Amino acid sequence: MSDAAIRIDRLVKSYGDFTAVDGISFAVEPGEFFGLLGPNGAGKTTTINAIVGLAKITSGSISLFGHDVERDWRAARATVGLAPQEYNFDRYLNIRDILIYQAGYYGLRGAAVRRRADDLLERFDLSSKARQPYIRLSGGMKRRLTLARALMHQPRLLILDEPTAGVDVELRIELWEFLKELKAAGTTIVLTTHYLEEAEELCDRIGIVEAGKVVALERTAALIGNRSLQDVFLELTRR
Amino acid sequence: MNWIGLQTIVKREIVRSFAIINQVVWPPVITTLLYIFVFGVGLGSQIKTIDGVSYATFLIPGLIMLQVIDQTYGESSSSFFQGRFMNSIQEMLIAPLSAVEMVAGFIISGLLRALFIAALITIIGFLFVHSLPQNWGLYLLVLFLVAVLFSALGIIFGLLAEKFDHIATLTTFVITPLVFVGGTFTSNAFLPPLLQRIAQFNPMFHMIDAFRYSYAGHGDAPLGLSLAIVGALAAAALVVALRMTASGYKLRV
Repeated sequence: MSDAAIRIDRLVKSYGDFTAVDGISFAVEPGEFFGLLGPNGAGKTTTINAIVGLAKITSGSISLFGHDVERDWRAARATVGLAPQEYNFDRYLNIRDILIYQAGYYGLRGAAVRRRADDLLERFDLSSKARQPYIRLSGGMKRRLTLARALMHQPRLLILDEPTAGVDVELRIELWEFLKELKAAGTTIVLTTHYLEEAEELCDRIGIVEAGKVVALERTAALIGNRSLQDVFLELTRR
Repeated sequence: MNWIGLQTIVKREIVRSFAIINQVVWPPVITTLLYIFVFGVGLGSQIKTIDGVSYATFLIPGLIMLQVIDQTYGESSSSFFQGRFMNSIQEMLIAPLSAVEMVAGFIISGLLRALFIAALITIIGFLFVHSLPQNWGLYLLVLFLVAVLFSALGIIFGLLAEKFDHIATLTTFVITPLVFVGGTFTSNAFLPPLLQRIAQFNPMFHMIDAFRYSYAGHGDAPLGLSLAIVGALAAAALVVALRMTASGYKLRV
């Protein structure tokens, strides 16, 4: 049996007396498009932060493609790309260098890296802005740059934390098409979103978290049945 | 070891330094020129020699230390704090980079910055007061230790700070006063005996005195003692910076 892309086992993350993630367990298989849904404060971003190493795990374990994120952190981190919800670009670099330096942090450099940066800029229609600082970009362009940066080191696992928040419908649909292409190429994708139609359109399987616990974990079609995802979501997360 | 990752951090810090050249390069140059003209040339005409060298020559090593200390601490603290504040440091935190690689990246870039600033002021000293170090090995050794110490302190305070104001606290209340009373402008021998003994406990005095050795060939304190103190402080600051970064203090919540 091959290793799961993500295997989370009884993950607990506490901040003092507050438990943000309370014993979550689930696995995401390689090549799967997985939706992690939940209301604000449910523990989605904390779970993502624990996966990528931005949050220290209180108890439990996480492994990525068989690599424990704490014991075998270097191999684990090399497999994952994160497109965070908040823009956190380096303000001293231009857009092309943001991509090239990102690859550098992953131990990559040279002509192949520069070519990949140019390809991604082209793919996301950012080539004309390559020498500009990110603050000159529109919201939609920043969103595209976030995705391009996450893809620079060609991760096997891509985590998208609300990738279409604040973008117009046209760009959202464009991003959906791109994500479908990535999935078809074999990339495992984890998506958090508040746009339930987005999860319905893209995800093979959906996990819903509420108050730090998984309250549903099903294939999308099975979860929805003959209702809408919104009805299911509201029923499961009503506090 | 992720060598390319480490090199990328160093390169990024150099890019940052030149992006804010009006904060990093020109202030030390202009301030040094002012000190040379006001103190070295103006006051120096009244003070013929100190410890056998002209006052202007006496002044140069102190001015180099003053700027190196200020710039290495200021740059690493503000870069680290800004990275935390803007979350851009997360680019490094999620990458396969260890705490050693991250800290080494910031320390090496601090060292390069120190060498650059010291070189500029050394050139100014040569051009305006015809003063050059006699012992380049000692010159580089003290620069290395001081740059490591203050780059590491910059990382520590960049992690501790909750706002930019906190970073300035160390500069305003500790570094600047200790540098100014640490023999930048006058010899320790000019002080009353009691103050001379107290000055022995000022680490800045030992940094400046050891560095001045490289110019004058002698100093107020034994060179070995000064080097040992500066080396021990640099090692201690480095260990603390490494431990804080490795533990994810205010980096990994």
